[in-house]
Amino acid sequence: MKVQIPIGPQHPALKEPISLRMTVDGEVITDADIRLGYNHRGVEKVAEGRNYIQNLYLTERICGICSHSHSTCFAQGVEKLMELTPPKRGMYIRYLVSELERVHSHLLWLGVAGHEAGFDSFFMYVWRDREIVMDLLEMISGNRVHYAINTIGGVRRDLDAGQVATILEGIATLKKRSEYYLRIGATEPSFVARIAGVGFLPLERAIALCAVGPTARASGWPRDVRKEDPYAVYDELDFEVATADTCDVLGRVVVRVKEVLESYKICEQILKTLPPGDIACKAPRKAMPGEVVSRYEAPRGENIHYIKANGTDKPERLKVRAPTLGNYPATVEMLKKGFIADIPLIFAAIDPCICCAERAVTLVSSRTGEESVVRMSDLRRRALARTDNAPVKGNAVWPF
Amino acid sequence: MTDAELIEKLKADLGDQVEIANPARRRIFLKVAPQRLVAVTTRLRDAFGVVFLSTISGVDMGETFEILYHFSTPETDFNLRTEIPKGDPHVPSITPIIPGAILYEREVQEMFGLTVDNIPDGRRLLLSDDWPDGQYPLRKDWKHVRPAEVIPGGKS
Repeated sequence: MKVQIPIGPQHPALKEPISLRMTVDGEVITDADIRLGYNHRGVEKVAEGRNYIQNLYLTERICGICSHSHSTCFAQGVEKLMELTPPKRGMYIRYLVSELERVHSHLLWLGVAGHEAGFDSFFMYVWRDREIVMDLLEMISGNRVHYAINTIGGVRRDLDAGQVATILEGIATLKKRSEYYLRIGATEPSFVARIAGVGFLPLERAIALCAVGPTARASGWPRDVRKEDPYAVYDELDFEVATADTCDVLGRVVVRVKEVLESYKICEQILKTLPPGDIACKAPRKAMPGEVVSRYEAPRGENIHYIKANGTDKPERLKVRAPTLGNYPATVEMLKKGFIADIPLIFAAIDPCICCAERAVTLVSSRTGEESVVRMSDLRRRALARTDNAPVKGNAVWPF
Repeated sequence: MTDAELIEKLKADLGDQVEIANPARRRIFLKVAPQRLVAVTTRLRDAFGVVFLSTISGVDMGETFEILYHFSTPETDFNLRTEIPKGDPHVPSITPIIPGAILYEREVQEMFGLTVDNIPDGRRLLLSDDWPDGQYPLRKDWKHVRPAEVIPGGKS
């Protein structure tokens, strides 16, 4: 028997409004449908009526976790349109904030993943340490969420020697703790047992469905805008692209913790080679007619802004694609053949995943309504075949 | 492979089906007629390994709509551009070639009021179910009018 269960738009397990229609067959999800738009604010239309500097603050408000990503993506596009060369010190500070933002976003995700997997002490440890990076961001910019540090042509606030020392100190503490979380997240048996094999997304499906960010990298697709299209300062920095090949939630945890460790490396390099000089250059009010495609690696994946200028102080068109939208088709794929119990683990963590155990095989007969007598040996054969075919739980390899 | 080498290869492969521009490093813009869109996308996927679509942007140009498909590979970014008349806005679906394009096609379809031919799933994505027909928010002539506030039971 098929039953359709609506989850959302308002649901205790979801932190943001999205509507999921799950077609279930017993405990197993056979089909999933996503309905969006409950939080649609018309930012693209609003942007056409505002000037560039107003839009900088508008784009910052697209997201509350990766606010800096959108404003940086917009600012670097507009700087190209205006043919500005922002001073190097300003760029270093801008991308220092980017990396600290990635750290706070990944630590937030890690905590939520621990909470949804029922590992609440992990959640509390991680979120305690997230306060360190939040305090650093507050010290740099004056704000915890909307940093408002970008301006067109550079940044708005400088760093002094005392601040640099405090950030380095904070990063040293975080580095030590994150290494511990990598060990826990990847080897603690009960935690690994809960997340290994959940939300299976094979590499070829990740590629076909254009998955982005840690979701794609955890399926073994090493794509990172910072590496392949190095914007601003990233070609001067030394870092690795973190990947995993388990294609499940475990892989996504490992990728994110490794990325956090790479971010500390980047922050240290930036702070140790911080050049002297100005932090911003003067930007004109208007941009010459033209168009630019600006790409940025946000914590959740590739962020892309297409900006078309018409010679006035307002853009003709601003198209924003946030990484989560790019991951929805992959999400639907992950939901299919998963369990209902895995939905919160997945969606609350904004990293949609569902177990991939091949249970539908035994449910086919119940769906068609055929009454068939199955011998015990037949049932056993089917169960064995299922275990062999399941690409998950049984064969999931621990990375350590 | 550098952009210049890729452009040579594109010219040899696709010939006069496309107009190529390269305004910046790693940004290649290809202009293609809407009838050739599917053929060119298939060729890009098969011969140049273009499998990743970032998004689809629509621009209202007055008499026409410009639709941009932002692809990228580890080597470079391909931006495929096509122009369709506003009077008869039809664009072919590329979802059969790039399955990840489905949400972006649904978005551009409802926001600009164009028809994506052969789209596997043409339902609304972002606009609400009671959104009036014929209202396309991202067209330049569409202006938002705030509806009058209705207080249930009337003002007391």
